[in-house]
Amino acid sequence: MRLPATSGEWIDRSAPIEFKFEGRSYTGYTGDTVSSALWGADVRVLGRSFKYHRPRGVLSLANHDTNALHQWGDQLNLRADVVPLQAGMDLTAVNTFGGLDGDKGRVLGRFARFLPVGFYYKAFHTKGLFPMWERMFRAMTGLGKVDLDSPRRSTPKAYDFCDVLVIGAGPSGLSAALSAAAQGASVVVVDENARAGGSAGYQIGNDPARAEIHARLLAQVSANPLIRVLTSTYAAGYYKDHWLPLVSAERMLKMRAGSVVVASGGFEQPAVFRYNDLPGVMLASAAQRLMHRYGVKPMQRAVVLTANADGYRAALDLLARGVAVAAVVDLRARAGTAATLVQQLRDAKVEVLMSSCIVEAVPGTGGASVAAARVGAVQADGSPAADLRDIACDGILMSVGWAPAANLLYQAGTKMRFERAVEQFVPDVLPDGVFACGRVNGVHELSRRMADGTRAGSHAAAAAGFGEAVGSALAPEVESPSHPWPIVAHPEGKNFVDFDEDLQLKDFHNAVQEGFDNIELLKRYSTVGMGPSQGKHSNMNGLRILARLSGKEPQQVGTTTARPFYHPVPMAVLAGRGFNPERRTPLHSRHEALGAKWMPAGVWQRPEFYQLAGKVRLDCIREEVAAVRGGVGLIDVGTLGKLEVIGPQAAEFLERVYTSNYANLKVGMTRYAVMCDEAGVVIDDGVVARLAEDHFYFTTTTSGAATIYRELSRLNTMWGLDCGIVNHTGAFAAMNLAGPRSREVLATLTATDLSAAAFPYLAVRECTVADIPARLMRVGFVGEWGYEIHVPARFGGALWDALMAAGAAHGIRPFGVEAQRLLRLEKGHIIIGQDTDGLTSPLEVGMGWAVKMNKPFFVGQRSLKAIASKKLKQQLAGFTLPPGYSGDVPLECNLVIADGDIAGRVTSIAWSATLGRHIGLAFLRPDLATVGNKVSIRLTDGAMVEVEVSPTPFHDPENLKQKEAV
Amino acid sequence: MSQALASSPVAEIVAELLTDAVRQAEAAAVLGIADVSLEVRCGCKGPGTVAWLDSLDVPVPEKFNSWLPLGERGRIARLGMTEFLIEGDAAVVERLTTTPRAAGVYPVQREDAALMLGGARVNELLRQTCNVNFAALNLADRPVVLTSLIGVGVTVLLEQTAQGLIYRIWCDGSYGRYVFETLHDIAHELGGGTVSPQHLYA
Repeated sequence: MRLPATSGEWIDRSAPIEFKFEGRSYTGYTGDTVSSALWGADVRVLGRSFKYHRPRGVLSLANHDTNALHQWGDQLNLRADVVPLQAGMDLTAVNTFGGLDGDKGRVLGRFARFLPVGFYYKAFHTKGLFPMWERMFRAMTGLGKVDLDSPRRSTPKAYDFCDVLVIGAGPSGLSAALSAAAQGASVVVVDENARAGGSAGYQIGNDPARAEIHARLLAQVSANPLIRVLTSTYAAGYYKDHWLPLVSAERMLKMRAGSVVVASGGFEQPAVFRYNDLPGVMLASAAQRLMHRYGVKPMQRAVVLTANADGYRAALDLLARGVAVAAVVDLRARAGTAATLVQQLRDAKVEVLMSSCIVEAVPGTGGASVAAARVGAVQADGSPAADLRDIACDGILMSVGWAPAANLLYQAGTKMRFERAVEQFVPDVLPDGVFACGRVNGVHELSRRMADGTRAGSHAAAAAGFGEAVGSALAPEVESPSHPWPIVAHPEGKNFVDFDEDLQLKDFHNAVQEGFDNIELLKRYSTVGMGPSQGKHSNMNGLRILARLSGKEPQQVGTTTARPFYHPVPMAVLAGRGFNPERRTPLHSRHEALGAKWMPAGVWQRPEFYQLAGKVRLDCIREEVAAVRGGVGLIDVGTLGKLEVIGPQAAEFLERVYTSNYANLKVGMTRYAVMCDEAGVVIDDGVVARLAEDHFYFTTTTSGAATIYRELSRLNTMWGLDCGIVNHTGAFAAMNLAGPRSREVLATLTATDLSAAAFPYLAVRECTVADIPARLMRVGFVGEWGYEIHVPARFGGALWDALMAAGAAHGIRPFGVEAQRLLRLEKGHIIIGQDTDGLTSPLEVGMGWAVKMNKPFFVGQRSLKAIASKKLKQQLAGFTLPPGYSGDVPLECNLVIADGDIAGRVTSIAWSATLGRHIGLAFLRPDLATVGNKVSIRLTDGAMVEVEVSPTPFHDPENLKQKEAV
Repeated sequence: MSQALASSPVAEIVAELLTDAVRQAEAAAVLGIADVSLEVRCGCKGPGTVAWLDSLDVPVPEKFNSWLPLGERGRIARLGMTEFLIEGDAAVVERLTTTPRAAGVYPVQREDAALMLGGARVNELLRQTCNVNFAALNLADRPVVLTSLIGVGVTVLLEQTAQGLIYRIWCDGSYGRYVFETLHDIAHELGGGTVSPQHLYA
């Protein structure tokens, strides 16, 4: 039920919200979370546990209630304790079979004895039963249902910057922010809660002075222009150089800070007693949040289990908001600093039991509520005395201690130590620029937390270059806020340590008994801390149990590794907007208009072929090939890498990076170029054109351009030659005009003498084409008379249009990558990466002619000498299928088989209309590579096809097409 | 050669996305993106470049990664130690591209996609696309930043004009459409859009 309205509550009672849960309609308010609205509507069972399907209610109301995960349409695993209530929500609990009330999965609770710790590891021991267990576990486990049709949500990421980042907007964090801002630093405060203030806003203890502190802090922060507060946002990880992803429901903010204050507080820890998971048993801070933030009465009559002053304040808050407090049960012998609070409670006729514990929450009818707390005295060893009594109540609050929210500190590289004075890990050595304050730093009392925050803020500002660091570390707390053993054994179990995984105290005993007595092993075997809350409410108790069972100190036991993310990050937020760089040549829209079908080539898009109406792909490609062989074709080769090397030692540079000679290359001529790595492996090829004595223009493969430029720049820096390299890949458009009529077409657009005598095969000329400055290279990659024409990118479109117009009378056809692949195959030209792999030397692909071993040096030369001294293991050879062959055709990568062994593989194969048969290239064992030899290729379906080793080039072996007479 | 034959690497996408003329001033005030790829431009690099520019009476920015104005509407940006981008001053560009290169000078063909961004929300766009804190740069230093933006290598120049702060961005022209389209989409989300350059730079 709802409490009367009070100042500072987060809900707007004038704005009711209708929603559904498990098919029933409810009303909440704007500002509610799903859990607070349901609890306010007297719904007590909010979900089912993962393993035994036990009923669960509110535990923390702090983003760790992972048994209250709900699904709303395509949104799954919504954390009901923190997800804001929205109009029209139609929620169901996840992990049920047949609904929350009638969940058939709850029968598993009765088989608990057959599901011991690590049972799934044991289940898989028998190989034969593996499939059965796998099916069962897949059916039983998993949370929520993924809707694969849900639309992609765009969540733009953004970078952000500040001098000081403060994580946590509680009293210590806000104090740190004010202190840092006072020294002139720009400050960002981030907090996962919907509003700032942290525990100062709900751990009131019915004390107006504490409420006043809360209000004052908020007002001061709000008034400070140097402070930005990001609420409903959490720091999900800590990366190098103070780089933190800040995650909200809408986006990830990538924050780069000058320094960081971690004021992340602590996770209140549950006590372990039988049935401590019943709806109605909750952390004291959860009850305080329900009351102060959401105006919800957590229960009618409470028993408060405590071991610190916070529990007494919770009891006072309950009383102040009209909740009866049947008793306060203190695990300790003395109330210590809470003495005055004890007196206030006793004055209010509340029974306070010292040196006592709760042994069991007595279930109400139906087993989904609390009817009483069974209490007894604590003996010296922590176990309860035999004499127990029941105190009637419908709710139990637990306030037995805190675990530091130190995940980010661990990720930042902080060395932590276990501090007995506060029974928690505290920072021992912090990395540069990282500061901690408040509960995570072992400082718990309110005024001390604020003082600690002021100190940390000042130091953080100073570290970021603002002002002088003021203040030093505070003296330790006078009493521990955390009990060293808030755990009560029970012979019948159901005393839960980990609510995510339904781990009971006995599971830890069994795991340790089985030898898993190391914290990392224990975690993986028992799965403690591996559920959705990632151990935030279970790791500390698990550690205490392991320490006691293994006879070690907590410091010796240590903690598990904290890795990003601190908290689950939705995939949509993680993915962000998604940037996928794509390069286009200047001719892209021309291709599009001509019906190009695109294929990716690295980051480029290239036309695979041009679709003609009413024709299938293969026919289109074959027509393009025919056009080039019989007339003229035009292909966009602008994706090739285009580099220049300029300077007196440019030729020397090329001598070193390519296998051929370039010092003797005449100005105005080009030469094929092969590049190897230091292992003698072919990594790239292209054409080198000499434009002047000290000026070379050369191409690389499309995919190799960026890598080759980087590598050449590295080598040039290392060698210190007098030359410079310029990457002009994107700066030049390039197209290849090829075919017997290419010269006629080009002649209409340029005054340059195109005769074979004036412009021979492999020559390069700088001239104008269609009034555009151009570099023309007479190359023959496709085996026809042709020109590669390179022009500044801005003129690419105009040149293409001019060539297409000039070629119209000759039936010019644009051709794509597939046609080019066939044309070059007919000519026996290899494609690096297709006809070579990461181990291929030039000697294996018949390029010995391009390797000049008599040069003083080139990259890979030494390795090639070694390779040349041994017998080749494979050799690239041409092969053909018989004319008229009508069976299945081998595919690229099909294996060559000889004597039952693998003897090679196909690298390229295609139908050649020119030759009237299938032709291909394959790596073969050298003894099989003799022309005329027959080899067998195994098809994908296992059938064998015999092919004949054939000489290459298949087409125009005498290279007559490049001669004037042809 | 006819400049009339030249086309911007982003001409088509700009035509597609251009904000209605009546709304352009409003969009530019919020977050305008404009194409200035066809401004005259050239580049050079190499150890002899500084001396060569000096010899041609072209002012050289003293600091690395900074720029200087050239004439009324031009600029020279120093990219790192020995590379320069010259833009907007036709006379200087003409002089540099027609003068024979000297020893240690390597001409760089600049066929960039060149964009301008401006408006009240421009920093929000930059924060979504680049990890450089542009807001922290001192405009008096005339900074030039070589960085990566939406996965593409870019050069960014900050210029304070009478109309406000503008960012000039250059990238390889082959990335132009991707860069322009992506930035336009973000600008549009933020209330701006594609505008003509005069709305950002009179």
